[in-house]
Amino acid sequence: MSANLERLLQHHPELRRGPGMAAAPEKGIPTGFPVLDRQLPGGGWPGRAITELLVGGGGAHALGLLLPALARLSREGRWIVLVAPPWLPYAPALQAAGVDLARLLLVEPAAEPDRLWALEQALRSGGCSAVLAWPRRLRPSALRRLQLAAEAGAAGGFLFRPFAAAAEHSPAALRLRLAPAGDGWEIDLLKRRGGWPLSGIRLPLRPAE
Amino acid sequence: MPGNILYSANIPGLRMEYSTLKPDFSDRVKYPGWLAIHLPRLPLEVLAQEDGLPLAVAERQGGRRRILLCNAAAAAAGVAPGQAPAAARALSGGLRILARNPRRERMALEELALWAGRFTSRVVLEWPHGLLLELAGSYRLFGGPGRLTDALERDLQRTGHLCHTALAPTPAAAMLLARAGRRERVTDLPGLPRALAPTALGLLPLSGEQRQDLQDLGIRTLGELLALPAAGLARRLGPEPAAWLERLLGRQPDPRPPFPFPDRFHQRLELPAEVSSRQALSFAAHRLLLALAGFLTARQAGCRRLCWSLGLGEGREQGFVLGLQLPERDPERLLELLRQRLERVRLAAPVREIGLRVEELEPLAGRPAGLFPETPARPDPGLPERLQARLGEGAVCGLEVVPDHRPERAWRRTEPGAGGCTEAGHRPWCGRPPWLLPAPRPLPVDGRGRPCLDGPLSLEGERERIETGWWDGRPVARDYFVARTASGARAWIYRELGGGGRWYLHGWY
Repeated sequence: MSANLERLLQHHPELRRGPGMAAAPEKGIPTGFPVLDRQLPGGGWPGRAITELLVGGGGAHALGLLLPALARLSREGRWIVLVAPPWLPYAPALQAAGVDLARLLLVEPAAEPDRLWALEQALRSGGCSAVLAWPRRLRPSALRRLQLAAEAGAAGGFLFRPFAAAAEHSPAALRLRLAPAGDGWEIDLLKRRGGWPLSGIRLPLRPAE
Repeated sequence: MPGNILYSANIPGLRMEYSTLKPDFSDRVKYPGWLAIHLPRLPLEVLAQEDGLPLAVAERQGGRRRILLCNAAAAAAGVAPGQAPAAARALSGGLRILARNPRRERMALEELALWAGRFTSRVVLEWPHGLLLELAGSYRLFGGPGRLTDALERDLQRTGHLCHTALAPTPAAAMLLARAGRRERVTDLPGLPRALAPTALGLLPLSGEQRQDLQDLGIRTLGELLALPAAGLARRLGPEPAAWLERLLGRQPDPRPPFPFPDRFHQRLELPAEVSSRQALSFAAHRLLLALAGFLTARQAGCRRLCWSLGLGEGREQGFVLGLQLPERDPERLLELLRQRLERVRLAAPVREIGLRVEELEPLAGRPAGLFPETPARPDPGLPERLQARLGEGAVCGLEVVPDHRPERAWRRTEPGAGGCTEAGHRPWCGRPPWLLPAPRPLPVDGRGRPCLDGPLSLEGERERIETGWWDGRPVARDYFVARTASGARAWIYRELGGGGRWYLHGWY
């Protein structure tokens, strides 16, 4: 498919790429769900940027959605940091999903400003492949700082935020809304680099083996 | 030869680097290179912080107390070394006179000797004047004598002492030049007499009588003394000064006992003034960290556990431990960690003394100051410590799986990085939820006995029975279900077997 496209582009000078797609996006972290990978620039979660996951529905906590990517990243050797998760990340389930627990760092600061500090430190350090956080409130300026930190530290930052945050402007590279649906998830891509918003992606609860 | 490779690589900056280094190497093996560090104000520095008020140190000399050293404010009032304390007080009304404390001076010198381990392992304690460092063996590593002494002086400034340094091929000459305050860099023996010539006779180890004798001959400097015929000089002054001159000029060997680097690092620093601000505390602690870095470099080691103690006076002490994930010896990194750790230390009283103890060393290869100073971005193994230093050790942990069928006992917290795979390989998807509630939460039931969470829950899939733990007095007997809330979220709930058959929420998918 893409080879055909390339040929067309070469032989027909009147054809050109749209400006948004001119540069191939940086390769992403495969999500473990091919349906989702196909829709994401770079074919996966952004590896050095902030991804916002807007979750609602009182219990759709979506950690499961990241587990295949975390399993892959944990074998890469850098830290995976969870900053102030709402409940206990359940070690047997993480291990069963293939996450190397030796690379997992659970950070539980008592005060909200310390959480933000820890989040930025982890993103910026260069020693983390993924940093997950559940911030209560986040000003756009703070989000921009985190985005820069993620770029500097080559870390994927995953922020779980309530639905209501969809109304705020966001510098995040990827923004998606997810809700439980049927036997899995339904995902709306609110913002992605080099592509239009897209809604109604259905994912199973468990990744393809 | 790495040098050849550099030379053939046609990079302008590197070519220049190589060609400027080359002449510096040419004389590196011919003569020893002794660097003397003289600390002219050490007796004052260990006793009080400079605050602009007149201050002097006195000590007993020949049965009488005499002023040994005074600060600029006292000198401006006319106070001078050698005066009697009463005379000095008459000159400067507010003069504070402190008794000399040789123990503290010795501790400060030893601290500096440890620090010097960063540059060489051959250090000589020259009580009471300063230190001698044999550097010729380290020239190459640092890119020649000029660069080495520059790097050393920069580092020396951070220790907070007033220092004079001089480099010479013999230890006696280096110390003599440093005491004269002449920043000479003599790397060869033939050039030594000329460099020494202007030295005043007062600095030589001569008795008053001998000095007078020479002055009567019209001799004022070492140069004039060396111009005299050697045989006559020995006859006139006696054998000892003559032998000293031979050693000074490198004609006779001058062996010095090296400072023995200890097996463990245990240094204390008595602060000249009480300190209660964290900033001042970390400034003082920096000196200990510089000494630690030298000690660790000399032993080619790093450390992971730094035990700090803060003396609060009247025998009270407060301590804390700075722990690291990987062995480290870089003083700046350690200081950064310490600063963050200090933010969590609540001082019970102002600090008078800081102690640092490091018992366990771990091998850490030398990291020479390379040609390419920028290290490439590498994963950061110090992240857990940095986070722990500010947030507290309990706030950062890893996770581990425990083989137990009770869900709440099938995991535990561990040291960061410790929770490896306890079982061989990983089981396929085991049906456990990724989230566990810290404690099971009781669920109400509706009129038909169904558990409710924002409305009645609908049960899905298979029931899983967990009945175990009778042996340790915490038995569980439960039926677990996956349940769906009205909004579609999946909960992990269970019903107690026996008792009231109550429902609990235990996790989320």
